Amino acid sequence: MNKITALSFLILTTFFSKSTNAQANNYCKKCNNSTRIVSVGGSITEILYFLRLEKNIIGVDVTSNFPEEAKKISSVGYVRNISSEGILSLEPSIILGENDMGPIGTIKQLNESKVDFRLIEEVESTQGIIEKIQCIGNIMNHKEATEKILNEKIFEQAKELEDIKTKKTLADKKFMLVLSMQPSSIIVAGKNTSGDNFIKLMGGDNIFDSFEGWKSVSKETIIKENPDYVLLPSKNLHKNSKVEDFSNDEMFLNTTAGKKNNFIFEDGMSMLGFGPRTIYCALKIAKKINQEE
Amino acid sequence: MKSSQKKIVKLFATLLIISSFIAIYKGSYSISIIDLAFGNLEEIQEFVILNIRIPRVILAGFVGCSLALSGACLQGLFRNPLADPGLIGVSSGAALGAATSIVIGAEIAPNNYINSFFLPLSAILGSIFVIVILSIITKGFKKSNITYLILAGIAINSFAGVGIGILTYISDDAELRGLTFWSMGSFEGISWSLIIPSILLIFLTTIWTLTFSRRLDIIQLGENDAHRLGIDVKKLKKNIIISSAIIVGVSTSLVGMIGFVGLVIPHVARLLGGANHNYLLIASIFLGSSLMIFADLISRTIIQPAQLPVGLITSAIGAPFFLWLIYNMKRK
Repeated sequence: MNKITALSFLILTTFFSKSTNAQANNYCKKCNNSTRIVSVGGSITEILYFLRLEKNIIGVDVTSNFPEEAKKISSVGYVRNISSEGILSLEPSIILGENDMGPIGTIKQLNESKVDFRLIEEVESTQGIIEKIQCIGNIMNHKEATEKILNEKIFEQAKELEDIKTKKTLADKKFMLVLSMQPSSIIVAGKNTSGDNFIKLMGGDNIFDSFEGWKSVSKETIIKENPDYVLLPSKNLHKNSKVEDFSNDEMFLNTTAGKKNNFIFEDGMSMLGFGPRTIYCALKIAKKINQEE
Repeated sequence: MKSSQKKIVKLFATLLIISSFIAIYKGSYSISIIDLAFGNLEEIQEFVILNIRIPRVILAGFVGCSLALSGACLQGLFRNPLADPGLIGVSSGAALGAATSIVIGAEIAPNNYINSFFLPLSAILGSIFVIVILSIITKGFKKSNITYLILAGIAINSFAGVGIGILTYISDDAELRGLTFWSMGSFEGISWSLIIPSILLIFLTTIWTLTFSRRLDIIQLGENDAHRLGIDVKKLKKNIIISSAIIVGVSTSLVGMIGFVGLVIPHVARLLGGANHNYLLIASIFLGSSLMIFADLISRTIIQPAQLPVGLITSAIGAPFFLWLIYNMKRK
């Protein structure tokens, strides 16, 4: 039994061998003091909790809303609009920031201050999530424990996701991800958005990859592109109360997704945050679709 | 200046000094006043005071001065109590320039350091562009009727709106949020290298603008009468618009859109002291600066360690006053 475990561990680590790249990056270097962490970015906070390092977090931003306890930590504001003095006033020993942290002036000031400040790159893929976790583990001088947690909770799921992805059932499916749905505008994920990358994570095909960014599209286009599956942040469900509101929408009734009632509601940050949860979420959806077909 | 007016100016100047001191002393990073007075600071405290707070307070003061001064001048020039720097389209020109740099700037100037200068520069270019258009449309400000300028301003505003709309549409997630926050105004992330050229420019233009006060008084009689009294109305118009464009363009470029200061401050100064411009301009400068410093102080301490955009605070103070103004005008 032990041999099998060792062997599968070997296979899995080889499979994700590229992950050692994470340590090569300068911003992933071990820090001197990780006792007071300010985490600016939802996925970073999620990863710190995932690595059980939460007791050292003294400040988070407003996008750090998972897990629920993170909301109780004092907030330094919105990731793109951070106050340098506000962060420094918490007297952090290290500041970890998502790569979309801003404004530029604040980043410059934090770099000039003598506090250890790291901007962590984000690559929106399975590999990217794993590297990010390893990077943060490395910074926190928590390398072995990180590998252990990854081994327990991520590698296998990631491998399974990669396997499902290559199956024909998913590769043939046309997806769309709706960010928000108002009567007058339906905003969907175009190319190079986290939504697009989430669809790719499952090996699906995003019907709206002809344009960049989050854009509003017309009902006519949706009917024309004919999605097989519609992904929606569950926030939409609360607002509109019922799944039926979507499935009975005349526009959707003219698409495969509507006819087969293929509406998938998931927590927005699970899908789009690209923290550990995103792998689970993608795997869950992929498995479900695979079983149905 | 009457002696009562001198008193008011002194009062506003004192207000400015007090608000500056409070703003330098107070912030989310707590520093004891004794340590501050004796310069007995830790390295990080010194960094916060010297590189974050002081440049911020200085810039807030200068921006408040710019907006209030240009508001006072434009209200005088147009003989219209509702005139403010936004009216002639200069702010929206700056906004369009800034939006362009936020959305497509990263491709042109990928380096972070250059990028921090790129935004103010393109905003200034935007407001210069607006002045050139104004000048062409009014044939070198020759058209005597002030309505032409205001109408041109309205057209320019809506044209800039289209440009910003298009940029909003093509922007990605991060750029869109950048645009939103820029449009609400903020003094965050200000560095010495960024503000020194700007405050010099604002300072010199302010001195120049103060020399218009006598002519602004005379123009209150009407353009024709002022002309008969020996005032070169066209030149005055041109000078005031250019000076406003410089100071508002520079301010807007650095800190984004900050509403209502240009409109409200001159009215407060006028209500308290009178309408002669040698008093009004100086009073507006002091009051505008201290209000802006105070508004910024609120913006960075009210929800610390996070912060609110300063434009929200000035507008929150300004909007009710504006309504009160409209209410009173109707009663008359």
